[in-house]
Amino acid sequence: MNYPVWNVDILGGGLIVAIIAIVHMLVSHVAVGGGALLAVAEVWSDGQPDGARIRTWLRRFATWFLVFTTVFGAITGVGIWFAIQLASPEATSLLIHQFVFAWAAEWVMFLGELTVLYLYFYGWDVNSRAMQRFLAVAYFVIAWLSLFIINGILSFMMTPGGWTLENRDIFRAFFNPGFFPLLLLRTVVMFLLAGLFGMLVATRVAADDDLKEKLIRFCAKWVIPAAVAAPLLAFWYWTTLPGSAVALALGGVTGVAGGRLEVVTRYGLLAGLAGALILVGTFAMALRPRAANTAPALALLLVAQLAIMGGEFFREMARKPYVIHGVLYSNQLWKEPGKAPARLDAPYLDAARWAPRLPAQSPARGEWIYRLQCASCHTIDGYRGLMKRTVAWTPAFGVRWLSTMDTLKVMPPFEGTAQDREALAAWVISLHGRTGVKP
Amino acid sequence: MSRFLLSRFPVGPLIDFMAKKKVPEHRCSGWYTLGGIALVFLAIQIFTGILLMVYYRPSQPWASVQRIVVEVPFGAFIRSIHHWSANLMALGLFVHMFSTFFMKAYRPTREFTWLTGLCLLGLVLLFSFSGYLLPWDELSFFATRVGITELEKAPLVGTWTATLLRGGPDVTIDTIGRFYVLHVVVLPLTVLGLVVVHLTLVQLHGMSEPDSFAALPPERKRYRPFFTDFLLAEIPIWMLVTGVVLALAAAVPRGLAPEADPTAAAPAGIKPEWYFLAPYQTLKLFPGRLELLGMGLMAAAVLSAAVVPFIDRVVPTDRRGRMVALIGAAGIAGLAAMTAWGGLS
Repeated sequence: MNYPVWNVDILGGGLIVAIIAIVHMLVSHVAVGGGALLAVAEVWSDGQPDGARIRTWLRRFATWFLVFTTVFGAITGVGIWFAIQLASPEATSLLIHQFVFAWAAEWVMFLGELTVLYLYFYGWDVNSRAMQRFLAVAYFVIAWLSLFIINGILSFMMTPGGWTLENRDIFRAFFNPGFFPLLLLRTVVMFLLAGLFGMLVATRVAADDDLKEKLIRFCAKWVIPAAVAAPLLAFWYWTTLPGSAVALALGGVTGVAGGRLEVVTRYGLLAGLAGALILVGTFAMALRPRAANTAPALALLLVAQLAIMGGEFFREMARKPYVIHGVLYSNQLWKEPGKAPARLDAPYLDAARWAPRLPAQSPARGEWIYRLQCASCHTIDGYRGLMKRTVAWTPAFGVRWLSTMDTLKVMPPFEGTAQDREALAAWVISLHGRTGVKP
Repeated sequence: MSRFLLSRFPVGPLIDFMAKKKVPEHRCSGWYTLGGIALVFLAIQIFTGILLMVYYRPSQPWASVQRIVVEVPFGAFIRSIHHWSANLMALGLFVHMFSTFFMKAYRPTREFTWLTGLCLLGLVLLFSFSGYLLPWDELSFFATRVGITELEKAPLVGTWTATLLRGGPDVTIDTIGRFYVLHVVVLPLTVLGLVVVHLTLVQLHGMSEPDSFAALPPERKRYRPFFTDFLLAEIPIWMLVTGVVLALAAAVPRGLAPEADPTAAAPAGIKPEWYFLAPYQTLKLFPGRLELLGMGLMAAAVLSAAVVPFIDRVVPTDRRGRMVALIGAAGIAGLAAMTAWGGLS
């Protein structure tokens, strides 16, 4: 409530962040895993009789890789910053202030990554073989360190562990309970994605079948073990999840949106099953690499994008109702009332810096409360739309729902007075063309 | 080991037969994947359909579906997959039909491949129509009632067919029994049988070659063997299709409206599913006694699709063939326009 509201009709701000982040996940993990593939392929090609031809593919790979990661990676990465600071300013501020040193180190890594990649790519005809190998390895190490750092910050959001608002212990925040399982999971997934990306490039080097077979089998060796290891590491990560998230995924919630809310479970299933689909598809490619062309290779990369979508949504939904687990709710309100500018029972809009001063009985009060307290997750008539969820609302039911919604464990408690609840309920009911008569 | 198996299961000739079929490689080869994709949807439908049958009770249709959605582990997910896969199958078959049409793969001697394909599309639409009623919620109930009432207006056979489908003068629980048997016994057996015929014909005739490809000198024609090259390269695409179904089921689960109340007034805005919107909207253009004319027009459209291979027979395409393609293009435009209109109005 300390920030202006970013109002996105139909989609909602959160979904915008999700869409950008899902694409960025794919690109950024290809960027790190592809570095490993470059380095290993550099060494591998030296020992092969047709090393020169393998390096032709490698050069093509590096071209695509450079464009894909530095253009899409940079656009979506900056896009995330734009979107999260608008959708979740309070959480963004907390992450920036808590991890100042980590962010600084992260940007050094990005700079290093880009520099080394350009040196590698543009030095192709000039550098010695030893230098190229060194640059490829250096690129991978730096890129992986950037993943190491961002992983500390992102895993913190789900499992802050021993960190509290009082101790502000960066070490415990960074090496939180989810850190190592997620780090390994991400490392394995980036190998998988690099293999899929390598296969895609290999199908474009269609000139001769022997080389294609060799390259696709080389890339499949990156995908298959990773696809087998990923579910095991995901299970390890699962064991570190907060109890509330596990309960949500296993049990669902009765009473929301006219049925069981097992969106967490569904997205978890999507991630796991899509991983199995990748495994089957890669086997088919490796069985007969000569037959592989661009369409199947691209198809598998798209399946990976769907798996990432499942994984990302799973993580976001499992963290409900928090954006930083146990600390900050998804709607930018603090769990500890002491941190909150408006106490749970104080008139809500009085403390909202950007809301206009409205008379107590004004219907616009309800709308402003919606914007500040609900719109982080809900839209009026689009994604997680209010209209669909409040068809049966009466003023009395609405007020009661608002008072008890936090007991469902997927929504935060309402902040404000009884009048605030009434104003919000009346506004919601007015959306349906009915009048919100005072209960 | 393989020698042991091969002597017990002498499938060699079968594999040779499949390997003999060659898939032409050209600009439009991508369309050849659509038949396989339809089969993937069929497999998903059979798998999820069997799972849904475990808990579905035709005597308590709505309550048992509610139980599937609310209580049965993964029930809601399986049901959503069944729903999305059904919709995508219908969409995929329409695209398959039109791509076959514009590549002129129906010309002699493949007339019966085309006709069995058309029948399969019709059966799949009947599959969708019968399955749509089974949850017995107010949407499915009233949409089905409207659909059968339209059918009833057809001359000669209308009343008889409508009564046969409903099991009486109105849609009741008896209709559920009929639609259920249709959906899980009659149609699956018919469709599977016809799929076997369709696929055997495709294998026997080999792939049809579009005119532009057929005109190439032999040394410039490129093919890939159907088995195993084409088949294996299709598998990743099948995985993507399956992934899309899973993603849709995760992101947009199928809801369940309140239980149907046959005595209540139909809720506002009842409309058929998208694949029936075009005929629905067309009939609206012919009010009252003109309705027969509208039905006649639609019957003529279906009939003309069936007789196309007997009209357009000449390779390479002559003037008549080009005319047929133009009429087909008008047909696809009309179908899309009427569907969009029906959806928006």
